[in-house]
Amino acid sequence: MTQTKAVIVDDENQLRVHLKSLLLELWPDLIICGEARNGQEALELIEKHRPDIAFLDIRMPGLSGMEVAKRIMGSCWVVFITAYDKYAVEAFENEAIDYLLKPITHKRLEKAITRLQKQIAASIRPPSDMSEIIEQAIARLYKKEKPGYLRWLKTQHGDGIRLVPVDEVCYFKASDKYTLVLTKEGESLIKKAIKELADELDPNQFWRIHRGTIVNAHYITKVSRSLTGRGVVKLKDRPELLAVSRSYIHIFKQM
Amino acid sequence: MKNGLVNITRRHVFRSLSYTVLFDTFIALVLTGIKFGGGFVDNFIISQCIGISICSFALTGLYLFRPVKPFFMLVVVMIAIIIGTVVGWIIGSIAAGLPISLFEQRFIAVMILGIMFGSIISYFFSYRERISQSEALIQEERIKRLANEKEMAETNLRFLQAQIEPHFLFNTLSNILSLLDADLERGKSMLTDFIHYLRTAIPKTRGETTTIGQEMEMIQAYLNIFKVRMGDRLGYRLDIPDTIKVYPFPPMLIQPLVENAIRHGLEPKIEGGELFIRGEKKGDMIRLEIIDTGMGFNEGEDTGVGLSNVRERLQSLYGGKGRLILEENRPSGLKAIIEVPHDAD
Repeated sequence: MTQTKAVIVDDENQLRVHLKSLLLELWPDLIICGEARNGQEALELIEKHRPDIAFLDIRMPGLSGMEVAKRIMGSCWVVFITAYDKYAVEAFENEAIDYLLKPITHKRLEKAITRLQKQIAASIRPPSDMSEIIEQAIARLYKKEKPGYLRWLKTQHGDGIRLVPVDEVCYFKASDKYTLVLTKEGESLIKKAIKELADELDPNQFWRIHRGTIVNAHYITKVSRSLTGRGVVKLKDRPELLAVSRSYIHIFKQM
Repeated sequence: MKNGLVNITRRHVFRSLSYTVLFDTFIALVLTGIKFGGGFVDNFIISQCIGISICSFALTGLYLFRPVKPFFMLVVVMIAIIIGTVVGWIIGSIAAGLPISLFEQRFIAVMILGIMFGSIISYFFSYRERISQSEALIQEERIKRLANEKEMAETNLRFLQAQIEPHFLFNTLSNILSLLDADLERGKSMLTDFIHYLRTAIPKTRGETTTIGQEMEMIQAYLNIFKVRMGDRLGYRLDIPDTIKVYPFPPMLIQPLVENAIRHGLEPKIEGGELFIRGEKKGDMIRLEIIDTGMGFNEGEDTGVGLSNVRERLQSLYGGKGRLILEENRPSGLKAIIEVPHDAD
């Protein structure tokens, strides 16, 4: 029987050293055939050495540990290592993939080793159809980061580009192919037509009141209605009054 | 509130007309009581017509000319009273089946009465309007104040509840744990840095104010920790002149920006990068810049929370005078600039 080989993948040097010394102590026969500092390096290393086991840190620059696992499924056993993403790795509870929480303890690592040794001794092949569970874990991991409504605007300012949070925008005004962004501090231009912008803004916060005007509802201080049915909106921090066109006046009807 | 009367609303019109009808009825009763005119029915019809006519002309005049100055407003109302009385009297006389003669003595009496009562009612309306406007203004101020207080309380609460990022906590502890075996001295020094960071990061153990110098010491400790963790991938430089280190400064304003630069800028970048913090005094403002050469801004990433907290705290601490500016750094990364007023000492 050939000796068992493993790779260690973590972006932090000290943590690789630590895991290596723990493995040396608890599983002296294991050969650590290589270490990688990010997902890309890990793929190359695994391709080259064909290890039996990969210890994968989840959060790494470039490709994450989860993405590496998805690509090497079936070729080796995976043990995830994470500082805090318990909610993501819990998906692997009772599955063929194991996980360790940082800081790694002797006891927990021993348990993982025993499990791996059993699987390898029984000549079980590493699972190759885990992609669905991994996809779910990835979704859980990056749930908060999926792009929703637009939150920042890149506006030209002097010769640099400034980032303005949309929450600070009082209103948007169409200006040909561009859109004028008006805040408490002044105005700037973005290279995006107002129609396009309207689709990216949260409709609960940004209300279209005219073909060429979108206001931030949080800034509305007063809405008045004249005899002719014309609506006029006054905004906080801005001196001007904005006209509401007939087709949008219904927004304010319930008020 | 210049636009108080400019925008006459439907409620405005309805209310004015109802009051007018009420007053007119009262006038008709009084006139009948003093035996003026032909009897209650005639007096009622004519006074209603005159009143409603004056009211309509006055509202139309105010709507068309939108007078802002009180004098101009008075002129518009006076003209409306005169025209309104004549027109109302003619219509009323037709309705009541009375002869219309402009040269009759009765007409002059009606004119005098119309102008008299018209003026009284107009004065009543303008008085009411002034009161309701000032009430609205007071109400608006109150709402503004309450909203402000609420916002401040929320900002404070978020600030107090600000947590230590769990990844940072456990990764740091893992590093310390491993150093205790491998390199005891480095392990001790990392633990010391971590304690220094915790003292300021845990709300209950930090003071209300600190100085820029103390805040920089804490950031130095925080960066030392990351230097151990990221190794060659992180380079950093702090350039804060000694002269501004003594200035008082709110705690945990710079730190979230440094944390943001590391977490979203440098840590996710394969080759890592540099962090540069510099400060200067510009007139009566203090300007601090936190510059990184990391990933730069990426829409959709979870970068907003820390930054909007800093923004809100600047707003509640300095009103409009303190601000946070974010710019793209060239050739890569992000530049965060904090500007706060500095009380001349």
